[in-house]
Amino acid sequence: MNSSLLTPSSSSSSPHHLQSPATFDHDDFLQNFFSSAPWPSSVLEDDAPPPTSDTAVASFHHHDVDSRNQITMIPLSHHNPNDAVDVNALYSGFSAGSLPFHFPQGSGGGVMKQSHTPTQSQATASTTTGGTATTPQTKPKVRARRGQATDPHSIAERLRRERIAERMKSLQELVPNGNKTDKASMLDEIIDYVKFLQLQVKVLSMSRLGGAASVSSQISEDACGSQENTSGENQTAAKMTEHQVAKLMEEDMGSAMQYLQGKGLCLMPISLATTISTATCPSRNPLVSAVKEAGVLLSPNTATTPVVDVKGASVITVKDASSVSKP
Amino acid sequence: MASADKPINTDVPEKDVFALHFLQSLSNLRRQNAFNSPDDTTNNRVKKIKKAAYVSMARAAGGTNRLWSRALLRRAAKENNKVVIFSRRKKRVTWLRRSNRRDPVDAERLRNLLPGGGAMETSKLMEETAHYIKCLSMQVKVMQCLVDGLSAK
Repeated sequence: MNSSLLTPSSSSSSPHHLQSPATFDHDDFLQNFFSSAPWPSSVLEDDAPPPTSDTAVASFHHHDVDSRNQITMIPLSHHNPNDAVDVNALYSGFSAGSLPFHFPQGSGGGVMKQSHTPTQSQATASTTTGGTATTPQTKPKVRARRGQATDPHSIAERLRRERIAERMKSLQELVPNGNKTDKASMLDEIIDYVKFLQLQVKVLSMSRLGGAASVSSQISEDACGSQENTSGENQTAAKMTEHQVAKLMEEDMGSAMQYLQGKGLCLMPISLATTISTATCPSRNPLVSAVKEAGVLLSPNTATTPVVDVKGASVITVKDASSVSKP
Repeated sequence: MASADKPINTDVPEKDVFALHFLQSLSNLRRQNAFNSPDDTTNNRVKKIKKAAYVSMARAAGGTNRLWSRALLRRAAKENNKVVIFSRRKKRVTWLRRSNRRDPVDAERLRNLLPGGGAMETSKLMEETAHYIKCLSMQVKVMQCLVDGLSAK
């Protein structure tokens, strides 16, 4: 069992090899050690040599060549299966002389632990090999988990937040223009979209009555009364919106646009509206035909939109183009 | 407490299911002769059709399996002075109440929009919103197709 310990390791980080003495004798071993070429002190490093496929290699790094009492590099190769036994034997062999061991962190096998204490008793050496080799690497992970685990409320909170984030993500795909990273703005986007869809249902149910007149009376205010007005009611929500918009437009164009956009509406120039209605089939959509009768429309998207006449402004929902014009 | 999250199911039936339900409700309306022009203003007609649209959408989307559709149907039935019968109800009241108090403020506007949204957890609210959006868009498509089909003369 002696010779196997000192056979040169296959570790990639250590280019040095030990001459393997036949016998596992204290002095012989030490002499053999120090008779070989002195290890550079920079060898003491923490990098993890890649584990070989079959064997885990642990290597001791050279710390100080000067002191005879310090064993440095003992590369181990696990050619035989019972390496643990060999390791323990090694420890038992060295502990008698109370030699300082400097074990670097074992990467692949995690067998050795790097300790800076000059003396290592055998018991601690053998016990620390198994468990502590892994703790320095994963201590922060364990800590975090334990910190959260002790508080059931925080776990519940975390779960809840994760669930909400997950659903928010799925909602993001549904809503158009859902590329907002901010949760609050995403929520606003969702709300606006739901409002818009509900408004679409309302508008479509209006149009289903099969009367361009009724639709136009709903969506356009006409001071001149040039359209047939079957509804008989003069105060619709649309008209109030238009009043409000007209008032806002007198003060500040931006706030008017914002108000409209908050409602999911926009204005468009009448030329554009007429182009839309004439480009596509004229009477396919009663909404579009009603637009023709409308007064003035402005669009926030086009840069130059002259305000022609504020009084007869009409508002249409243009958030989703397919609703008004033909898809 | 649930350790793993079950996969959310927001599947929505095909368009023809929605179309079927909507047409059925429209024909019901017609049969009831609700569109007599003398006693009806346009707005009432609009309201009736809108309500029919929503109710048919709720029925098509799963009836009482979804919280929002259940609330919608209940609201509609209340207006008609009818009683809605539920097949099953989940009993997670205490847990709901506890988490409800913590943040119903969070998505308040959304809750106001969604039928039955005031009584849900936020995560449940999001789920219901996703399903609601899907159903709404399906219903809009159906109605749009109807409008296009009928007005192409």
